[in-house]
Amino acid sequence: MTSSADAARPQAGEGRALSQETREAGRFVPGQPDMWAFVLFESMVFAGYFTVYVIRRTRSPELFLRSQAKLSLAVGVFNTVVLLASSWSAARCVQLARARSYSSAHTHALLTMFFGSVFLVSKVLEWSREIHQGLGFTASEFFSFYYFLTGIHFLHLLIGFVALGIVVHQLRSPERRSQAIIETGATYWHTIDYLWVLIFALLYVMR
Amino acid sequence: MSAPSTGALPEPPSGSLLRKIAWHWRCDEKRELWIGWWTLVVFYNLYGLLFFVITRTQPPPQPSLDPSGIVRWFADRHHGLIYGFAIVFIVGGATAIMNATLAYTMRRMSVSRAFAYSYLVIYALAALPGMLLMGIACTVGAMRPDRDPALLCWLYDFAFLSFEGTMGVFLIGSLVWMAAVLLDENGVFPKWFGYLNLCNALTEVVVAPAWIFKEGAFAWNGAIAWWINMVVFVVYTIAFLTLIRKLILREDFGTGPLPELQTDRAPAARGLTQGAR
Repeated sequence: MTSSADAARPQAGEGRALSQETREAGRFVPGQPDMWAFVLFESMVFAGYFTVYVIRRTRSPELFLRSQAKLSLAVGVFNTVVLLASSWSAARCVQLARARSYSSAHTHALLTMFFGSVFLVSKVLEWSREIHQGLGFTASEFFSFYYFLTGIHFLHLLIGFVALGIVVHQLRSPERRSQAIIETGATYWHTIDYLWVLIFALLYVMR
Repeated sequence: MSAPSTGALPEPPSGSLLRKIAWHWRCDEKRELWIGWWTLVVFYNLYGLLFFVITRTQPPPQPSLDPSGIVRWFADRHHGLIYGFAIVFIVGGATAIMNATLAYTMRRMSVSRAFAYSYLVIYALAALPGMLLMGIACTVGAMRPDRDPALLCWLYDFAFLSFEGTMGVFLIGSLVWMAAVLLDENGVFPKWFGYLNLCNALTEVVVAPAWIFKEGAFAWNGAIAWWINMVVFVVYTIAFLTLIRKLILREDFGTGPLPELQTDRAPAARGLTQGAR
């Protein structure tokens, strides 16, 4: 984590660095616009999955409610908070890199990886506990969706570690440090986070 | 490859389509690339026609059909399956030209040749799960309608599980293409196409539950395992057909960055554009 002086420095230079960066690149979104095309397309694909889930749920609401009650809301909340924290550190990493505070940005990229790892371990433990309780992939239609949605999200998260690895690689050497690539990696990570929030709301919270 | 080609081509003759085709056959230095591209276009159109209209194997039928339903399914499509898959077996050979064209896009990039070679090797297997196994199983079922229904049920499962459930080849191929596009510095394809490859690769994972479920969203005809995947595949196919066409128009046969497509076209460029139409 950064000291207060370190945190204050980027705040002052942030606006200037950002506007200069935006002017230089003539960009309207952070990172590569191509990544935003990916975000849009993946969002539409997930919207399709969510729509199918909601339709199947309305056909057998009792079954879905009974199955949903077997999930641990506390673990779901914990995972959500951890992933939100990872998104916060990814955002800080981008801010610090824009302000040329690369050492602190590097620390925040590693912190994002740490929170992501906590999420992964927590999710695997949650799955193994549920499987031991006999709540496997074929236990009910709800659990088929549960494992599918959390599983495909898990896969996205694993790919996110590759993206974060590239961000760390960029930040480590003064010869690299492409701000666009750093922001592109962070954009991918935020996408994983926002998809999880929707999955959490649908699977754990929606009654 | 060597230095970019700089000689301006003569304009194609005006007049009939046949004259233009003949001119491109004789004079167009991109002739082989256009043959590859048109093979892709004709193949994917035929693929849709053969699987959706003639054999009527797509959209896929219910996995939970009982033995009498499966016997009826083969009987209802008897001629379509036999003649349709006979054409599939013939056009299957086009995959060699198609894969070569796709690998060419990676050879034109600044990345290692290993990408194009890996893609060629993995996609040499693509026709098997992509159409041949299903074609063989369905043709056997259609040609031997008097067999034990249990055998027809086996063929039915084999046909659709091999077609819908074995996506490893396409998963790896998409990831190879993705990595090549994202690492390329010649600007052969836009980076969003690299990310679209990732979307496509992820949908190849989604079909895996089709091996377990006989009904619902994850069955081989389900909303998630088939319908959403099909939409992604169609978008992906249209995207790479369009981008390969642009690549051919921009191709200068050099090894450096590809030139941008000029809007204010020189005579040579105009001729090539007309050739693509």
